[in-house]
Amino acid sequence: MIKSIRMKRLSIVSALVATSAMLLSTLPAQAAQTTGVTVSEIKLGISSPTSGSAGLVYGKVPGAMKAYFDYINANGGVYGRKIKLVHRNDKYTVKGAAASTFDLVYKDNVFALTGALGTATHQSGYKAAGMAAENVPDLFVNSGWSGFNDKNKDYPTTFMVLPTYAMEAKVMAKVIKDNFPGQATFLVVQNDEFGDDAAAGFAAAGHKMTKTFPYPQGGMDISVGRTILQGISEIPGKPVVVLFGTGDATVAMLKAAEELSMTKKFTWLAGSVGADANTLLALKVKPDTIDGVLSASFMPDAKDLTDPYVKQFSAINTKYNKGIVFDNYVLAAMNSAMLTVQALRAAGKNLTRDGLIKAIETKGSKFASAGLVPLGYSSDSRIGYNGYWVSQINAKGEGKPYGGKLAIYTTDSGAGVVKKDDPPYVRPTMPKNGIPTNS
Amino acid sequence: MLSMTPSKKRLAIFIIIGWLLLLASDRVGPLRLYQGSYIATYTLAVASIILLTGYSGQLSLGHGALMAVGAYAGALAIGKAMLHPVLGLVAAALIAGLFGLILGFAVARLSGPYLAGTTLALAVALPTLANQFDVLGGQQGLPLDVGSSPEGFGEDFSQYKWYFWICALAALIMIWAIANLVSSKYGRIYRALRDNPIAAELSGINVGRQKVLAFAISSGAAGLSGALLVILLGGVSPSAFPLGVSFFVLTGAIITGLYNLKGVILGGLILVALPEIADALASRIGGSEGLTNSLPDFLVSALLILAVVFTPNGPGKIFKRSH
Amino acid sequence: MSQFITAVLTSLSSGAIYALMSIALVLVWRSTRVINFAQAGQAVLTTYIGYDVIQKTGSYWIALAVAVISGAVIGAIIDRFFMRPIFKRITTGPISLIAPVVATLGLLGIIQSSIGIVWGINYQSIEAPVSTDGFEVNGQVIAFNRFNLLILIIVTITMLLLSILFQRTNIGLALRASAYSPEIAKLSGIKVDAVRTFGWAISGAASGLAGMLYIPGYYLYPNAMDLLLVFGFIAAVIGGLDSMFGAVVGAMILGFGLSFSRTYISMEILFPTAFVLLILVLFVKPGGIFSAKKKRGA
Repeated sequence: MIKSIRMKRLSIVSALVATSAMLLSTLPAQAAQTTGVTVSEIKLGISSPTSGSAGLVYGKVPGAMKAYFDYINANGGVYGRKIKLVHRNDKYTVKGAAASTFDLVYKDNVFALTGALGTATHQSGYKAAGMAAENVPDLFVNSGWSGFNDKNKDYPTTFMVLPTYAMEAKVMAKVIKDNFPGQATFLVVQNDEFGDDAAAGFAAAGHKMTKTFPYPQGGMDISVGRTILQGISEIPGKPVVVLFGTGDATVAMLKAAEELSMTKKFTWLAGSVGADANTLLALKVKPDTIDGVLSASFMPDAKDLTDPYVKQFSAINTKYNKGIVFDNYVLAAMNSAMLTVQALRAAGKNLTRDGLIKAIETKGSKFASAGLVPLGYSSDSRIGYNGYWVSQINAKGEGKPYGGKLAIYTTDSGAGVVKKDDPPYVRPTMPKNGIPTNS
Repeated sequence: MLSMTPSKKRLAIFIIIGWLLLLASDRVGPLRLYQGSYIATYTLAVASIILLTGYSGQLSLGHGALMAVGAYAGALAIGKAMLHPVLGLVAAALIAGLFGLILGFAVARLSGPYLAGTTLALAVALPTLANQFDVLGGQQGLPLDVGSSPEGFGEDFSQYKWYFWICALAALIMIWAIANLVSSKYGRIYRALRDNPIAAELSGINVGRQKVLAFAISSGAAGLSGALLVILLGGVSPSAFPLGVSFFVLTGAIITGLYNLKGVILGGLILVALPEIADALASRIGGSEGLTNSLPDFLVSALLILAVVFTPNGPGKIFKRSH
Repeated sequence: MSQFITAVLTSLSSGAIYALMSIALVLVWRSTRVINFAQAGQAVLTTYIGYDVIQKTGSYWIALAVAVISGAVIGAIIDRFFMRPIFKRITTGPISLIAPVVATLGLLGIIQSSIGIVWGINYQSIEAPVSTDGFEVNGQVIAFNRFNLLILIIVTITMLLLSILFQRTNIGLALRASAYSPEIAKLSGIKVDAVRTFGWAISGAASGLAGMLYIPGYYLYPNAMDLLLVFGFIAAVIGGLDSMFGAVVGAMILGFGLSFSRTYISMEILFPTAFVLLILVLFVKPGGIFSAKKKRGA
């Protein structure tokens, strides 16, 4: 049977060619003593979106972190080792994050992850890459989901940095109670754990929303926004609308309001995840629309050049991140990068994964950072910042303290009260030139 | 060998392949095991398309939806109902098969582009249905953790080896079943359906019933591959089965050769290998972000067109003279 | 009340865009017996070309014209240099029925990934040429704006032009004859091949127009038109793939069904609604609403 022999041969040959091509092209690199650490280099990885609607808003994060690391590398690195940041675009999908995180750990062989972005995405990525079993440190994730604070069970190597969404919701609830009593309140959230966390926070603060509008991740656009707003257009008074989603969702809702001429009909309260004023303006929301929008933040405003941290990071951005406008996302990313460098230093010259985790647990709460609230790392807490101040955006894109005077509120993710910080927390002094020298 | 019947020979071959795979799994690292698991999963999906389109002649553009049904069924069975993974996978295949049975009835009267259009609409619509029902976890989806290996296997049995064992064995068993099916009289019946339905009807075959059955079995296999896929992802969510998945596995089937099950592993291999090769190529060239993200699709699509133009009946038939 | 008016008006304007896509698909189906999945790629490619034109000239209208013309050119090129050779090569065997469709799938992938390589995959946007603020009706602002109205006007004019083309001109007659019966058309002296390429050109122009009308208000990225292709296909199937009039009717049915279900039920029920509509129609008439009892087999 000549036909079947030839067919078998061709199939076998093609299979061999495909297999060897794949094997050769994806040969894992030689493993060093500690994965990702050599005498001259530390390899870190970040899985985040740089395309799609999430990429429009958060695409700057890896570049900003890299800019800070470049600055440190130009100034001696970490005990002589240069930091190399490998980024993989996960497109803000669960599937993408599973693949990206897996590739970072097993193909790029990074020492640790830093700044992984997203709630559902990182939950999937952490598991798919078996990070718990491999003991890969998971630093300063870009998500406020309280479930990541889980040292003893599901996320043994994870450290948060953002205050939890529950904390933010509780602070927002207090602001609404103090300033807008009697108004109807509406919550627009993703219908996943990101949104659930926020809803839980409002509930813990004893606030009941008039109505909640959940939408699927990636599923908010102007026409959806229009439907929501038309549904609440007849409510009397000036209702408060809480937009607790990603930046692209905030943009969609505000643009929908513009199209329906409803921008001044509501008091807008935008969650910190999606409220950077510069991004909103860059995505063509009108200045008049954002004027008066309330938001919450735990950092100084990116336009406040009187703040030493802002000034320093802004300078680094100009030199090492050319062409990128300095906004709150860049500020937050560089802040996390500075925390990362301090963590690597605190772990000592003999760098191991266990050592890094221990270092943050024992010394992390003393790290210098731009945050206006303290860091909560300890041997049993993986929570970073624990509070917010309320800002009001103006038409120029600046965020100023609501009510004129800066008031910082701290709380927890559970039933604890929201406390006003009096006297306000004093930050550790910024290391000279923004270059950490801790050990 | 000479004295074995074809079906016994087939069984022996599959058992040997299975044993070799399990041996190999000891010697390779997590990366290869993970890739191998994906290859097994996609090979199974390709086999289900070969059965449906290649053998029974029904073009479906919605296999992603069938995989999604199996995926959610598996997640509910193993995750919520706490069934043992093996039972859960069986449940996933059965539920997907049942769904395929119903769907097959609904579309039995449709042919050609109408069938394609309906399956396309299904592929787009079904994953979003999960948003409607809280029990399906909404947009967040359901987590699926098949846990680590049973204690009997020892400490060194990594998470990825466990995945590989599950995927490889499940795929092997199901493909063996399909191979038996198409070598039996059913295979001949399907080919008759595909090539000349009128003649088939005249010679006593109940065309409608056979089409529906083929749809059901193909759906069961696709559902099983969907359940395997979400084991690898660690969970199921609507975003795991976009329209691209249906096109992706159809491409694999065309490249393998729609009309013969023999080369099916090639389809799975190419579907996994090609994006990896593209990824490596793009990073070697050091191209832009756009290049890195688009090169895999470009290569797969190019290969699809080449396959359809130059080897429309499968790679083996280049040398075949017309009948 | 304003919700109802809004729902009706948005049905019309979204139905109009679906109609452009479904006409494009039906045109190709009638002349070539192929479902052209690459239509999504053609539409988005011409929109990217339009985007470049806007970057250079700042004018939406020039970009619109360029997009439509390049859509026609690209459509003709695809028929002449891609589809025709494929049809020549694959004439027998079971694959002959699905090979062309699969080839268009492959072409779609090539076009979209090439766009990603050349333009990048980041989201871009195209501004609408007129205001997108809603009209005021009785003091209430409705979700229908000048741009939606513009879409309706442009598509209606296009439909009129197309029907004049098909019913009143020689080439229109040639198109209809070749679609109905290629052999007889050839016998009566019609250059069937050239006419078919012309059909692809018009189809490409229609999808090019659809792209430029659809993208303002959304984002532009390589896969931006996939959804529109699916809806256009469903609309065409509902109307009966062989009928141009059916394509428009199907698009309107789909537009109304989707708009009303989104307004009155929920925003998440969109795709299941489309599927249910399709299945219902095909259950009653497996060939679509306007399918005639013609010769069997594609």
